Amino acid sequence: MKPLGTRIICLVAALAGGLAVPAAAHHSAAMFDKDKVLKVAGKVKEVQWTNPHVAIYVEEAAGSGAAPLVWLCELTSPGNLARLGWSKSSIKAGDKVTIEFNPLRNGKRGGWLKKVTLADSGQTYTNDIFAQENPNLK
Amino acid sequence: MDRFRSLLATLLLLAALPSNPEDLGPKAKSAVRPPPTAKDWADLAKLPDWSGVWNPKISDQFAQMKTNPPPWTPKALAQIARMDAEERAGRPPPIFVNCLPEGMPSWMLVTHNAMEILFTPGRVTMLGESDGNRLRRIYTDGRSHPDSPDPTYHGHSIGHWEGQTLVIDTVGVVPQAYLAVSEAVGLPNNGDLHVVERIHLEGPDVLHDDLEITAPRLLTRPWKTTRIFFRQRARKFDIVEGVCLEGSFRQAVDADGNSVYAPIRYDVGGNRLPPE
Repeated sequence: MKPLGTRIICLVAALAGGLAVPAAAHHSAAMFDKDKVLKVAGKVKEVQWTNPHVAIYVEEAAGSGAAPLVWLCELTSPGNLARLGWSKSSIKAGDKVTIEFNPLRNGKRGGWLKKVTLADSGQTYTNDIFAQENPNLK
Repeated sequence: MDRFRSLLATLLLLAALPSNPEDLGPKAKSAVRPPPTAKDWADLAKLPDWSGVWNPKISDQFAQMKTNPPPWTPKALAQIARMDAEERAGRPPPIFVNCLPEGMPSWMLVTHNAMEILFTPGRVTMLGESDGNRLRRIYTDGRSHPDSPDPTYHGHSIGHWEGQTLVIDTVGVVPQAYLAVSEAVGLPNNGDLHVVERIHLEGPDVLHDDLEITAPRLLTRPWKTTRIFFRQRARKFDIVEGVCLEGSFRQAVDADGNSVYAPIRYDVGGNRLPPE
């Protein structure tokens, strides 16, 4: 019997940081509620490391006997995430994580990722495209 | 006889040249591109160093929406106001979600992604990340614009160097290309777009693109704005391949065991749809 979960999918599209900013490439982030931050703990189901937006799907355990809830978070592009310290293997399927995100205004289980924390290592990654606005990043 | 004809042809060609050919140079008048010489390659070393990867100052793009808005015509302003209201209401107008190129001048104005700039004899080439079609060819070999260029997303660009500044003149942009101030707010230029840019280093690792945008179907007067880019030299930040449509699919394995791209569901705004 699998533990139940809620599926958490975090569909992240643009960047948040307090502004209703468009996402990395081709769409605005205004569909996400920048005034709210949801926090969900779960297991990464899938990572789509693709342009123009990366996506991370997280399964949140639901109640006993219930299927996990899947949350979809969208993020900026792989290139922008690289300048924020990410690589395609930073977050992998199976990782236990906590995601913090601006949720979709329509109430669906999705949002724009603000921060993800790996449960085992405590390592965090952000999705703040303004954080790369300096030359000669290391 | 053949030598006489050849001489005559040469004389006729010389007679057809402008009285001040030094303005354009004989190469600029040629219908063919002559092969670059060793000097042409060596002369590239005199240009400023724009190597590396350049990522945009996105926060300044947003700031200028308030501090330096385009001088929209009343008709355009009414449409922009509606788009602003929709954006604030959480229903961003989907203007760049079809994966067609953002085109000129929006690529320079609202991109969130990095670019690189290549110098070759007679050419400057700008290559953008995260959209397989972000490419600008800027001819610096002295040629003029064609009389009637085929319209394209990035237009026809000719450039010349004024000291350490590259001056670019762009016409021939498709009327459907947006003049956008964000990924959700902008309007098609509707024709007769003309962009003049002055690109130069503002600091050792900061590049400025000073744009003057003339769009008579949208703006009451030319609009001046500067876009800022930061240089990255770490190899791990090299430009990566970015195919816009890739985000409309997920990697999957089909019934025969082949690796394939499977379409995913996404909304009108371009966001992947969360599972129900």
